Amino acid sequence: MQAAVVHPGDIEAALQSPRARREVARPDVDAVILPSATLNPAQRVGIYQNMYLLRMEEALGNDYPGLKHFLGDDAFFALVRDYVQVHPSRSYTLNRLGDRLPDYVSVAPDVRRRDFCADLARLERALSQVFDAAETKALSAAAIDQVAPEAWETARLEPIAAFRLLALRYPAGAYLDTLHDEHHRHPPARRQDTYIAVYRRDYSVYRHDLTRGAHDLLADLVAGKPLGRAVAAALKRGGRKRPQPDDLFRWFRQWVAGGMFQAIEL
Amino acid sequence: MSNRWNLPDLGIGVGLRTVHFPHILSARPDVDWFEVLSENFMDTEGRPLHVLEQVVERYPVALHGVSLSIGSTDPLDVEYLKKLKTLATRTRAHWVSDHLCWTGVMGRNVHDLLPMPYSEEALAHTVARVRTVSEILERPLVLENPSSYVEFAQSTMPEWEFLARLAEDADCGLLLDVNNVYVSAFNHGFDANAYIDAIPADRVVQYHLAGHTNMGTHIVDTHSDHALPEVWDLYARSVARTGLVATLYEWDEDIPEFDELLAEARKAAAYRAALAAPRALAAAR
Repeated sequence: MQAAVVHPGDIEAALQSPRARREVARPDVDAVILPSATLNPAQRVGIYQNMYLLRMEEALGNDYPGLKHFLGDDAFFALVRDYVQVHPSRSYTLNRLGDRLPDYVSVAPDVRRRDFCADLARLERALSQVFDAAETKALSAAAIDQVAPEAWETARLEPIAAFRLLALRYPAGAYLDTLHDEHHRHPPARRQDTYIAVYRRDYSVYRHDLTRGAHDLLADLVAGKPLGRAVAAALKRGGRKRPQPDDLFRWFRQWVAGGMFQAIEL
Repeated sequence: MSNRWNLPDLGIGVGLRTVHFPHILSARPDVDWFEVLSENFMDTEGRPLHVLEQVVERYPVALHGVSLSIGSTDPLDVEYLKKLKTLATRTRAHWVSDHLCWTGVMGRNVHDLLPMPYSEEALAHTVARVRTVSEILERPLVLENPSSYVEFAQSTMPEWEFLARLAEDADCGLLLDVNNVYVSAFNHGFDANAYIDAIPADRVVQYHLAGHTNMGTHIVDTHSDHALPEVWDLYARSVARTGLVATLYEWDEDIPEFDELLAEARKAAAYRAALAAPRALAAAR
């Protein structure tokens, strides 16, 4: 019955599928499942089959509203139908169903503007992960002030658990910002390198757009590079767009104020 | 009558739903209790759990799951059960319930309540699993009768007999969903009253009521809209047998504002009052 319920085709194709026939041969289905006064056995199994894809689509649409919005209902449903064939749920929760959707989209042959969609999905997955991550207490400005100046050179910073850093090739965040625009004004899905920190503070999820330089510094810090080395590397990168020390100080203050770090290892 | 574990009559409750979080936290509505969907809170450390902790401070709760898959041939998911037990402790849940069904085999979850054949073999299989779950949870499991759209030729007894024997042999509680009785009675052509009358009254610890969608050839358990008068009649018939038992109204599709949901749930109050009135009269004489 499971094989028929999860089959993407119509119920007859589902019951005739090799997997279903390994469970029960098609002529025997009518001997296994009783008809009702109004429905034959195949139609009764079909009720569950119809609900299966609708439920998967609802779950993934909740986690990827931007992707669904960009593709449209029909294309998104087709994507879900194909995705769950390859990555069916193996968890007690539907929260994990979409974990591999961004990677799937990045190679799916039938997805319009695939690279943009993959970036959009990556951002939405990060938002979900941050939403559900453990709550960890953020470092306060007072805690930062207590660090002796000479200790900063080798200090390592640990981000809060609810934190993700993304380097994307498309303006996925800008698209998400326009989902509910009543005039349907959306930014073009054109190539534009985009850097975003996604984090949670007081149980609200935030997106913080970054320049390339800020992203690279933050990436070094959350990877555990000592602050002195991360700053030195940041000041050497970027050519003509090389950040200045004041830029680094300003960024660091923003990140601390945003509550992105939970600990300093001295 | 009281249930055999003396689990309390929590009164009239509704499901805890994300869309109502702001209202519940700010308005602190006058609702007796909340039913909490277990799986929604077992895999998150974020805002939903934070809200749940605040709800639990103020309201009694019971846990209700959809992924236990008690009837499956796959082994029980012990990690799932440990998380469920942790959540039950954390929320001081009065009981933990799930459904008489299976949700998948070979490691898959179709996230639907798939029907079981009602045979001696299936009964023995399910009894053993229920006992194991109850041991792990350190409390009697409570099982809900499902609504279903398929019947198996292999079944040798009606669902109500299977459920009653399961409850006795596994020593578990029952969550009697009277809307599901109505839906299944329509879909399978049996007498809903016979179902109600066959349920062991002292094992019912909770009721569900809900609306549904009639497709003509079958009814789908959509948990939408208001319950039909016929469903309320089944509730009245059952309450006359069980006495006052925690009652919950389920509304999961096109969820209305909280006050509308609570108003629908509170219709149960009249039935509960009618049950109490003869007894009050008898006590006063």
